[in-house]
Amino acid sequence: MTSKERILNKCAKAADGAFAMPELDDIAAVEYPDPLKQFCATSEAVGGKVVELADNQDINELVRSLFPEARRIASNLTEISIADTNPDLVENACELNGTDLGIIRGEFGVAENGCIWIPQTMKQRAVCFISENLVILLPRQNIVNNMHEAYKRISFNDYGYGTFISGPSKTADIAQVLVMGAQAARSVTVILI
Amino acid sequence: MSTFHSKSAKSFLKDEKYSSWHDKTFWSVRQKRDAMAEKLDEWEQLREKASRIKLHTLSHLDKYLEEFSGNAEKNGVKVHWAADAAEFNEIVFGILSSHGVKKLVKSKSMLTEECEMNPYLEARGIEVVETDLGERIIQLKGQKPSHIVMPAIHLNHDDVGELFERKGISDQPGNHDPSYLTYMARLSLRGEFLSADAGMTGANFGIAATGDIVVCTNEGNADMSTSLPKLQISAIGLEKIIPDYASLAVFQRMLCRAGTGQPSTTYTSHFRKARCEDGEMHIILVDNGRSDWLADPAHREILKCIRCGSCMNTCPVYRRSGGYSYSYFIPGPIGINLGMLRSARQHSGNLSACTLCRSCETVCPVKIGLAEQIYSWRQSLSGLGTFNRSKKLMSDAMSLVFNHQGLYDAATGAESVMNIVPRDWMPFGLRFPRKPFHKLVKEDDK
Repeated sequence: MTSKERILNKCAKAADGAFAMPELDDIAAVEYPDPLKQFCATSEAVGGKVVELADNQDINELVRSLFPEARRIASNLTEISIADTNPDLVENACELNGTDLGIIRGEFGVAENGCIWIPQTMKQRAVCFISENLVILLPRQNIVNNMHEAYKRISFNDYGYGTFISGPSKTADIAQVLVMGAQAARSVTVILI
Repeated sequence: MSTFHSKSAKSFLKDEKYSSWHDKTFWSVRQKRDAMAEKLDEWEQLREKASRIKLHTLSHLDKYLEEFSGNAEKNGVKVHWAADAAEFNEIVFGILSSHGVKKLVKSKSMLTEECEMNPYLEARGIEVVETDLGERIIQLKGQKPSHIVMPAIHLNHDDVGELFERKGISDQPGNHDPSYLTYMARLSLRGEFLSADAGMTGANFGIAATGDIVVCTNEGNADMSTSLPKLQISAIGLEKIIPDYASLAVFQRMLCRAGTGQPSTTYTSHFRKARCEDGEMHIILVDNGRSDWLADPAHREILKCIRCGSCMNTCPVYRRSGGYSYSYFIPGPIGINLGMLRSARQHSGNLSACTLCRSCETVCPVKIGLAEQIYSWRQSLSGLGTFNRSKKLMSDAMSLVFNHQGLYDAATGAESVMNIVPRDWMPFGLRFPRKPFHKLVKEDDK
């Protein structure tokens, strides 16, 4: 007998089917009068920054003004003209090391915790983590209240990967002092478009 | 009269400054958890749902395991099953050696600690690099975690600073500022990520309906570990499988609020497939005792645990004795229970590390009866032969006296023979009253 069969047999014997799945649609989950406002407040609380793109403002100019010193910029977004590296065209993900700024698109934000759903839409998803600074473009109308709504909405493509990102990489592993920028992006700026 | 725990706790408490910092630090994490819970009117409803989802999943675990593995395989993932730690380690080594892996970067996994995977791989020539900062610190120090979420909590910034100087990670001797040290660790680990041949993660959840492995981190190290190398291995205990995304929403909302008092971890990552066409993703489902615990109705509910760590943060005994005072590698209320399931004979000393205050049960997001479980283990101690002999002698004598009216009266009467016994012969210099309690009550009634 294989380990798989042995484990499944043991579990089948032990699992008595006694408990039904609870109803989950009746959870009275938090909702906000202004989800966008709440999203912005939560994002700041988790160490992120939120900037609004004004009408008629050029996205490249805005990003440039936010990161005047960024030299190496990686993005595969067609509207981003200031990028010099395209993560779709990078053969070895390690080549993205040294990226000052990665610019990616988020599908929707979650008001209760500042999470943004980022399905992989580039060949090298490392750009979302290896960049020193990360800019996430987020349509301002795409904000849900809570994770119950979020998990009804997420979808995957052929890359088979997606992540919720809520603020910059952080740690408190040295003496419980909170430090931004552990192993991944040291800053996260959400640009509401 | 002392257990391993009480002796170790005594030495922990010798450093008053540190032990008081430890206590306060964890209490502040508990308070952060409370602040998060209070912001949500539905918190208690979520706890109830979370508990029921786990009970349901466990009571149908064979079906969900098959659904999970079937869907993962449909996604092109190679699924392995490990009956115990030895088989798990063999599988990991088999995958790594067939790919010629020399260096493995990994994110935090209590399961790989449980299976003692790192020393196994290192003995076979594979370099294993922990990439969670806390785990990396204790790996460099040659220690084990003292908390499941904050593994290096027993070290202060000077300890870490000196360690980094010795290991050549920091280049400014005497600079022990946590921001500086974190940055230097970032630079050092960046080099490890870039030169690794494979990445490994644990799993917070496995989603049966989709075959996803879900990993929650604040540092992004699980994503760094798996977005540079082409080979990914994820290890998951059987009990981490949950039905679907609707269930995951409940747990995702609770895990970090309960554990660290954040509304969410920074990253909640879903891994479904190998990251590129010439890459591979492997999932190893690990039993290592879990199916036996599932078959034990008295202690099955321990399998509900999502490893948030909140029971440790709130526990007055953990806060004042530290993770190393427990004989099992997972400390606190959940560790006491997991240790008993692993080896009651080896870990029964931890049972003394509980006041039955039930603070853990108040905060546990999946409503495990942690203290009740500890109480029930205590009732079975004599069967294990690990009880304390002098305590047993005392309680047997007490039971003899209390169960026999004549003996009791003789012992407690005005001319009590017991009070002639020299004080040194009695435990704690115990003296018997001049009159038994029932006679005193009768006199009062008159």
